Amino acid sequence: MSRKITDEKKAEGQKLLAAAPVTHPPAVVPDSLPSVPALTPEVNKQTPAVGQRVARPDIRTHVTGTTRYIDDLSFPGMLHCKILRSAHAHARIISIDLSEAGNMPGVVATLTGDEVPVNSFGSTYKDQPVLAADRVRYRGDGVVAIAAETEQQALEALAGVKVEYEPLPAVFDPLEAMGPESPKIHRNNNVYTSKVIARGDVDRGFEESDHIFERRYTTQMIEHVPLEPFAAIALFEPDGQLHLYSTNGRITLGRADLARTLNVPMNRIRLTATIIGGNFGGKNEIRTEPILALLAKKTGRPVKAVYTREEEFIASTTRHPLVMDYKTGVAKDGRLLARAVHLVLDGGAYASWSETTVGKAAILAAGPYRIPNVRVEGHAVYTNKTVTGAMRGFGAPQVAFAYESQMDEIASSLGMDPLEIRMLNGFDEGSASHTGQTLQAVALKETLLMAAKRSGWQEVGR
Amino acid sequence: MRGDGVHEIELTVNGVVRRAQVSPETTLLAALRDSWGLTGSKLGCDVGDCGACTVLVDGLSINSCLLLAVQANGRDVVTIEGLGGFEYLHPLQAAFERLSSYQCGFCAPGMIISAKALLDENPAPTELQIREALSGNLCRCTGYTKVIDAITEVCRDHAGAVGVEQSV
Repeated sequence: MSRKITDEKKAEGQKLLAAAPVTHPPAVVPDSLPSVPALTPEVNKQTPAVGQRVARPDIRTHVTGTTRYIDDLSFPGMLHCKILRSAHAHARIISIDLSEAGNMPGVVATLTGDEVPVNSFGSTYKDQPVLAADRVRYRGDGVVAIAAETEQQALEALAGVKVEYEPLPAVFDPLEAMGPESPKIHRNNNVYTSKVIARGDVDRGFEESDHIFERRYTTQMIEHVPLEPFAAIALFEPDGQLHLYSTNGRITLGRADLARTLNVPMNRIRLTATIIGGNFGGKNEIRTEPILALLAKKTGRPVKAVYTREEEFIASTTRHPLVMDYKTGVAKDGRLLARAVHLVLDGGAYASWSETTVGKAAILAAGPYRIPNVRVEGHAVYTNKTVTGAMRGFGAPQVAFAYESQMDEIASSLGMDPLEIRMLNGFDEGSASHTGQTLQAVALKETLLMAAKRSGWQEVGR
Repeated sequence: MRGDGVHEIELTVNGVVRRAQVSPETTLLAALRDSWGLTGSKLGCDVGDCGACTVLVDGLSINSCLLLAVQANGRDVVTIEGLGGFEYLHPLQAAFERLSSYQCGFCAPGMIISAKALLDENPAPTELQIREALSGNLCRCTGYTKVIDAITEVCRDHAGAVGVEQSV
């Protein structure tokens, strides 16, 4: 930084801050939250909590830097773990040589996939290895874990590991991965989960339409980038119970997956979710926990692993990129008569939360519009890329980008105002969703009108 | 430097003289957290992008993940722990609390230090200057509006104390 602070300026600023009165804590944190009348559930009534200003109960420790995140925890004798990740997007593991790494300074223990009691986990399908044992399917696959006295020693020991690979053809494009010629990543078919929603008769709907609009929309892979990287600590309590601290946001599912991979009863595992430095869906399944548990068992010492920022990008989960083909039939007055949607989700190397994502994307793909004839087909496909999983909205933002883009294109082509075409077709109170659910408290048009009014849409919108 | 590659360092942290023996690759952030237990400064990216590790070194805000501990030898360091504690808040901390400027809070210590560096240098910054001063601090939960509001409030509420005119 080249900015120069003059002594005069500095003194002035310090005087300003020193002269400011020392603030004593209002007698409210955390037991001084505003008193709110008891909530009695009432249908269609506004809750009194809305509009109230409420102090966050954890804000004081945040602003004083005293909130205890996982990396702020350490235990006597704690070791540090680093994981060697695959050198290839797709390869067979021929051999792993740990003779050099195991003898490097500070190294206490090593772990490979063969040593994991049940070497598979996953939020839906159990298709992801804790550590890849015979085959790597993306660059983020862990192959060897090393526990050392310091983080630096663990990192340096990774360079001493020798892994021999036989590279296999890889596929990175989800459409290509669906084809018969594509390399197969898990089974004979790379399509691993699908969802179809059908209502009315889209073919007839298109025949009755005055205009047909067709377009492909695509979205990219997105990493959550929580400021706090994924981390976990494993230790054994004196009574033999395994205690894991983790940034994992779904501890019940995590505990079940841990019990399964370690092949121990769930009641022998305690999983403590630490205060989290950002999640957004990227910390919703186990990652290093079984590895740390096994290293803790081997060494009899607590073991910690904190993802590097690079690992956060290549070895966590990301948002699904989607290829979305939309075809919409419209009457000349702008009414939507039929919509056919074909979604392909790039699922990455393992399933993670793809089943949830393909479901939600398909359910919402036609948009909040009254369309008598709808057909949506969604498929999640394996590729040799970073795993895609949960991220805020589970597929909803991707399809919203597509259907709203198409609404604008239809409006533009018919010479209609984008607001007008949405007011004409939008859901009303009591409309049925595309999966047949009767909707209540629908404020779509009210919201659109208010947004138009406040943004000055009528004056500048067109 | 000792024969085994370990360096002895001595610096002032939050007004207290601190000593440690560190290996050459130890960053100032690692020394603060691991040698002296000052865990308020956070490791977010380790490459100087996110600003969660921001501390003051001789009055300037720097990324402590990019400065080696040996480079900080003999210098004056201020971390979030040097501003205020649970019972007595620094005016900046009080303003951030009042506006609930954070959700997860991981970026808070670095951001508050950057704000202090700004006000030490310029007690009456414009909004643009506030934005520029915080450009090295990333937040992924809350956004920056309430952070800027909090700093603006501190400038406004305490401007009279030193007779500084409020900038527009």
